[in-house]
Amino acid sequence: MRKSSMNKLAGFALLTAVMIALPFVVSGYKVDFLTMLMVNVILAVSFRVITTTGGWSLAHVPMMGAGAYATALMSGNLGIPFWFSMPLAGLVAGLIGLGISYPLRRTEGFAFFVASFAAGEALRLCWIRFKIPFGGHQGLVVPPPMLVPGVQWLDFAEAIPYYFLTLVVTVFCLMIMHRLDVCRIGSTFKTIHSEENLAKSMGINTARYKMLALTIGSFFAGIAGVLLAHRLWAIEPDQFGFSTTLYLLVWVVFGGTTTFSGPILGVVVLSIIGELLRPLADWVPMVYGIIIILTLIFLPGGLESLPSRIGIPKGKFWRAQITVEDR
Amino acid sequence: MQFIGQMILNGLMTSSFYALIAVGLSLVFGVMHIVNFAHGEFYMVGAYTVWVLFALLDWPFFVAVGVAILVVGILGLVSEKLIFRRARGNVLNGFIMSVGLVFILQVAVVEIWGVGKMKPVPAAYPQILHFMGATTWQRFILFPATVILLGSLWYFLGNFKIGRALRASAEDPEAASLYGMSPRKSAALAMFLGSAMAGAAGGLMAPIMSVHPYMGHAVIWTAFVVIIVGGAGNIKGTLYASIIFGFLTTIITTFLDSTIANLVNTLVMLVLLAIRPEGLVAHAEK
Amino acid sequence: MTLTDARIQMTHMAILELIGLGKNFGQNVAVNALDMTIEEGEIRGLIGPNGSGKTTIFNLITGFLKPSKGGIMWRGTDITGSAPHAVTKLGLARTFQLTTLFRDMTVLQNVIMAHHLHLRASLWHQFLKSSESRQEEKEIEDMSLVLLERMGIATRKDEIAGELPHGYQVALGIANALATGPKMILLDEPVGGMNPVETDETMQRIRTVRDQGITVFLVEHDMRAVVSTCDKITCINFGNKIAEGSPQMVCSHPEVIEAYLGEEVSCSL
Repeated sequence: MRKSSMNKLAGFALLTAVMIALPFVVSGYKVDFLTMLMVNVILAVSFRVITTTGGWSLAHVPMMGAGAYATALMSGNLGIPFWFSMPLAGLVAGLIGLGISYPLRRTEGFAFFVASFAAGEALRLCWIRFKIPFGGHQGLVVPPPMLVPGVQWLDFAEAIPYYFLTLVVTVFCLMIMHRLDVCRIGSTFKTIHSEENLAKSMGINTARYKMLALTIGSFFAGIAGVLLAHRLWAIEPDQFGFSTTLYLLVWVVFGGTTTFSGPILGVVVLSIIGELLRPLADWVPMVYGIIIILTLIFLPGGLESLPSRIGIPKGKFWRAQITVEDR
Repeated sequence: MQFIGQMILNGLMTSSFYALIAVGLSLVFGVMHIVNFAHGEFYMVGAYTVWVLFALLDWPFFVAVGVAILVVGILGLVSEKLIFRRARGNVLNGFIMSVGLVFILQVAVVEIWGVGKMKPVPAAYPQILHFMGATTWQRFILFPATVILLGSLWYFLGNFKIGRALRASAEDPEAASLYGMSPRKSAALAMFLGSAMAGAAGGLMAPIMSVHPYMGHAVIWTAFVVIIVGGAGNIKGTLYASIIFGFLTTIITTFLDSTIANLVNTLVMLVLLAIRPEGLVAHAEK
Repeated sequence: MTLTDARIQMTHMAILELIGLGKNFGQNVAVNALDMTIEEGEIRGLIGPNGSGKTTIFNLITGFLKPSKGGIMWRGTDITGSAPHAVTKLGLARTFQLTTLFRDMTVLQNVIMAHHLHLRASLWHQFLKSSESRQEEKEIEDMSLVLLERMGIATRKDEIAGELPHGYQVALGIANALATGPKMILLDEPVGGMNPVETDETMQRIRTVRDQGITVFLVEHDMRAVVSTCDKITCINFGNKIAEGSPQMVCSHPEVIEAYLGEEVSCSL
């Protein structure tokens, strides 16, 4: 195995060990903070799937909501167990994403922005307007997941077991999205972002690929929504509104979207800053606002672009992202 | 007959409200290629200014509104200088920067005045007016005020050298230099005027709608729908779109409810964008 | 296959036909009822003063613009209004005027992506990186290296496309178009901004492309290049065809000379 791969593997092993040890080391509510952190990581990385084709979808957070509502209805009203309701809810979110992506497949830039926001907002308005079955402004109650019936100490209503559940799901999702990114499909996405007309003239059906990206991104956003719903035990439309979208945008711009780890960096760093500022919680949005404005002025590529700014040659860092299998 | 009269009256007022906000946003986008998401917060600052001056300090209503216009106009100028100038025409960056500004303004207002849902601003002119229907003078003022404000803006854009330069650069940002006005100046001017309009809207609406730190949210979305359909940068088109959506919203709200009205507006825009994906932006064909 | 074999294989039949092709932008008539036929194996040049509609014609043929009237026949099939990716699939490839490349990818990666139409593995297989898919990727990489060799840029294969000198960028653009496996290639100002040495090299490459069985249709301002390489030239002005024929004939055509009066390029050999 090549040296860089060995280093990467060692890094992952270390990270995994840390993630496994953490919940036993930190105090009570911080475990939930870590759980939510992972949920947001899935949200941000799945958002990036869509941005690799050049689209900034403001429907993404509502897609998370779609997953949350779907699992709430399935496990709450229909009694479907968590193991099934999670992938099914993700599927629902993915299908809604597919539905949205079709009329939007030829919109670009600003128009896509606004249209995707419109679509997401339309969905949210449905949750508010139609009290049956969505519960209107009050939202819905979500049962904690019953995963292993009868086993007392594996109660997923508790913080630590839920943390590990989330950890497993997060790792799985990240692995899938990473594979997508490094395989030819991911490279094709990037060509669409880079020069869409050139991609078209190479025979790439760019509209279809953009639809694919939006669908897959929405699926994983839905999964994030499921994880959120079953921890909070209640969901309401305002959780998936524009405020949350703004936070997502700030995380993702702060971290950068060119590399796979950019969004993860953004979520983690900003969330930790938010946690550290807990005594001044009211000021946190303003701090974010200032950080993001400064970032765009002084480091427009986001955190991920820091290495190239301080002298690590671009080719070395960037090229890894569009790989042909190393021989 | 009374019923239709009432609807027309309400429609006029709603359209005025939309027009005041959307035209400002459209002007800013046209000249600077910036989607100022904080435009809703500018509206909010206008409302708070009137609340402080009129409700708390007992200044005359229209003076308070005048000050609100100035305050928000200056706020726009400062934002342009400190923040949006650095986006250098990159639409996405400008948008995200405006998101940052949203956060800053919201927290600032919450810290100064609290999160309180309602800051009731007494109506300055609560007398009922009977004109095609019934409403209070306070609400009705929105219509002539908008006509005056937008009319003045229109006159300015058409009849003064600076105004003409501004209008030209709203349609084609390169054109500003042809008129001898630097892009920076036209950006600053656009930002001042556009934001001032939002401040005017906020000030005029303060006695009518509840004043709270998040009131911008409700407004910004509809503003976007209007400028997308009317053509961001196209003042006339935005005006027409304001009227269309103003009446559409009024009619649907009368027969159904406001949430559905919102939904319909959203769907109308979605359909239009699906048919014309360029986004109906009526910039001059290059 | 030798050069002569390839030439013998091509029959002189019409491969691309523009029939009454027209395009309006609002009031502006960019292309006006254009009739044009290109035969297989030709190198056809399209000339005309700036703004005469040349790139518009390319965009109409390749599906980036929809015609206002008229039609386009490609090898007997009506492709009017087809989407760009469909047109390429049928065998018509193009380059773009401002060297359009995937600027952040390497030269090799560009050409590998350009082989998109050669993919047989399904999306699922691509995702799994199955042995099928990996085998295919290896084949594509080999084909890409061969193509880069032919275009003379193989030595630069790992350089970032956006950082290449202009001449190499143009060569890469042509390589990208060739990778799609076309029967005809549309080149939009391939030697724009080049010095005479680079120009000659590029025109020689273009001749080689034709000799390997690919019809060439090019737009160019450099008269020397056009006249020395093209079999036939079409000249348009204000969206109308004003002359068509051998280079010598077109060059001495009074309307052509008049159209270029006052322009930098002059139609002399």
